[in-house]
Amino acid sequence: MTPSFLHKGSFAMPKDNDSPFLLDKHKRGLQNLHRMARYRDEDVVDLVVVGAGAGGGVLAQRLARKGWKVVVLEKGPFWDPDRDWVSDEKGAGQAGLYWTDNRIISGNDPIEMGKNNSGQGVGGSMTHFAGYTPRLHPSDFEVKTRDGVAVDWPLSYEDLKESFERVERELPVAGEDWPWGDPHTYTHNPHPISGAASVAWEGARRYGIEMRVGPVAITNGVFGNRPHCIYRGFCLEGCKVNAKASPLVTHFPDAIEFGCEIRAGCMVTRVELDDATGRASGVVYVQDGEEHLQRADAVAVCGYAIETPRLLLNSACRRHPDGLGNNSDQVGRYVMVQGATQVAARFQELLRMYKAPPPEVSSEQFYETDEDRGFARGFSIQTISPLPIGWAEHVAAEGHWGQSMREYMRDYNHWTVLGILAEFLPQPENRVTLGDEKDQNGMPIPHFNYNRCANDKAIVDYARGILTEIWDGAGAEDTLTIDRYAHLVGGARMGFSPDDSVVDSSQRVWGVENLFVVDGSVLPTQGSANPALAIMALADRCASLLDRKAA
Amino acid sequence: MVGRYPDWNVLDEQEHWDETTRRVVLSRLHDVPERSFFDEREAATLTAFCDVLLAQDKEPRIPVLAYIDEKLAGGVGDGWQYYDLPGDGEVWKIVARGLDEEAQRNAFDSFAAAALELRTGIVHRFGQGELHGGAWESVNVARAFRVVVRYACQAFYSHPWAWTEIGFGGPAYPRGYGAFGAPHMGERESWEGNEAFHVDPVKDTQERGIE
Repeated sequence: MTPSFLHKGSFAMPKDNDSPFLLDKHKRGLQNLHRMARYRDEDVVDLVVVGAGAGGGVLAQRLARKGWKVVVLEKGPFWDPDRDWVSDEKGAGQAGLYWTDNRIISGNDPIEMGKNNSGQGVGGSMTHFAGYTPRLHPSDFEVKTRDGVAVDWPLSYEDLKESFERVERELPVAGEDWPWGDPHTYTHNPHPISGAASVAWEGARRYGIEMRVGPVAITNGVFGNRPHCIYRGFCLEGCKVNAKASPLVTHFPDAIEFGCEIRAGCMVTRVELDDATGRASGVVYVQDGEEHLQRADAVAVCGYAIETPRLLLNSACRRHPDGLGNNSDQVGRYVMVQGATQVAARFQELLRMYKAPPPEVSSEQFYETDEDRGFARGFSIQTISPLPIGWAEHVAAEGHWGQSMREYMRDYNHWTVLGILAEFLPQPENRVTLGDEKDQNGMPIPHFNYNRCANDKAIVDYARGILTEIWDGAGAEDTLTIDRYAHLVGGARMGFSPDDSVVDSSQRVWGVENLFVVDGSVLPTQGSANPALAIMALADRCASLLDRKAA
Repeated sequence: MVGRYPDWNVLDEQEHWDETTRRVVLSRLHDVPERSFFDEREAATLTAFCDVLLAQDKEPRIPVLAYIDEKLAGGVGDGWQYYDLPGDGEVWKIVARGLDEEAQRNAFDSFAAAALELRTGIVHRFGQGELHGGAWESVNVARAFRVVVRYACQAFYSHPWAWTEIGFGGPAYPRGYGAFGAPHMGERESWEGNEAFHVDPVKDTQERGIE
């Protein structure tokens, strides 16, 4: 039986997270900053968290509530959406939402970074993610067993199910009843959909593909003091409404209330190890050009798929000369992106895709392996709605410039876009390494190499064909395709032994008993789901394991 | 710049934008940055290049190079660098040199001084990655084109004149959007512009051979 708090439209709030009530109805910035705890570097706090994103945010809130003294060190700023964020694509970059420190990209399929997949500041990349929060499928945890590819996880869907549910209630997630994977329902009703999304919906239906509205972490109703979405369309530029979820509004207000300090503008450059005991003793960080050491009983690295491996590698010491967790050369390997090809279609009607959130409807009908397709695993289909600069990138990708680009751009309001998320498989050579050049903090600039394997290419080719056929069947007058990539996971994966992974099933780094990795880099495989929800659910689970252990 | 929405000017809506957004967007109209990254010759070459790239053939033009110069002078890139390209600023300088060299091979003093047809031909070959010799030897030419197109598009389509041209409703905080989707297909907010365009652009571009 469905518990009553899961009924749609119910305004029952999560019991152990008061964040939505700690915000103000009319001001977007955090209201309890003046009573945030302040610890000194020499205080030995219970836990220092590196990175205030999806993983670090949930972990900090959970453990602060349990009475742990937690300090979160975040490289970027502490946002006040009223003051810092704009309804403007270029302005979002100028405000500093994206991680713009240099990264060298290489391989046959170099992955562009920055606004595409890397954030900074309190809330992490979720401040500028589109908002899609699908769950992983049960099959994602055992792709080796089921499909003979990649690896199984050292835990199952059932181990994470309650965490998925808990996080969905906190964000909250709005969407229709979900028929794919483990069927489930959402706390908030599906959002109304735009003209651009309805055309996609109808095209897919005619082609025999079912779509559903959502799932998006965007309020569809009042949620505590967070207002209803106003459909302004600038989800990727930071939500000025506090309608779209990010840890800034979903977890940090509550964490602060329970004694957690979030120290912004602090770039962690090393994890320090006590040479005698082999335990982590704290982290070295740079604030305003000055180096500090925050001491702590335990360290959680939550820096995401590039920065987490970079930090572990840069923390080489006598006991671990190749970097922490890297005695078997696993750190930085098996980084994954998802194939995110988009096909845009032109219709006679004015669709004005800039209205409503860019994420609206999606389908997981092609998520699972179907041997007839000639490849393992699959992809999901989602609507996205680029704003003018994003649309120009889309137009330019087919080689248009000059008059033809201007004409496609003038036609903007007639277009709508479908995209895929294709499950790319983990490969050891898709990896982050340290380059020779140093950054402003004396830390080596990361180097990220990527090559798609044959299975990756086969999925994208097939999926691109499906999108094109959907549009042809819907009567599109013209289409434009852009091959691109989205999301980042892996790089410090969890596994069964130090020989095949960096962390164990409780996300503890092999060989350092009080060092944890709590972010997307632990994912052994990724499914065709946007990763935010899985990262938060893993952090939720990790927090309960840690607290149980401490008790 | 009037596109297909003759009664629409996104700037008429500025009083409905939040103050932070209004300040950021309006500064693009009033505070055109002074040149500091490029030298005079590079700026002349690259301005002519951006005009071809963005089909800006008459005034008023959006001063895209000024914004590109400002961004490069600030030293904050977009967050990545291809292993076979130098940093973005250096890419732009190499492109300026390469474009001038191409023009000089055709007996013009500089790219800016070359005939439009030649300039267009050079940009076409640049887009195809088919420029060789001299400055081009130090970069992956097709990738360098991607970099400069990205900067140029960002500078151009962040300008409110371009939003007016394409009928983009623009910033909508705090008032939001309400008229969309069923049963509002094809409808618009009371304040949005309507399209007044009688040529089907899909056929039109094909007939004019500018696809």
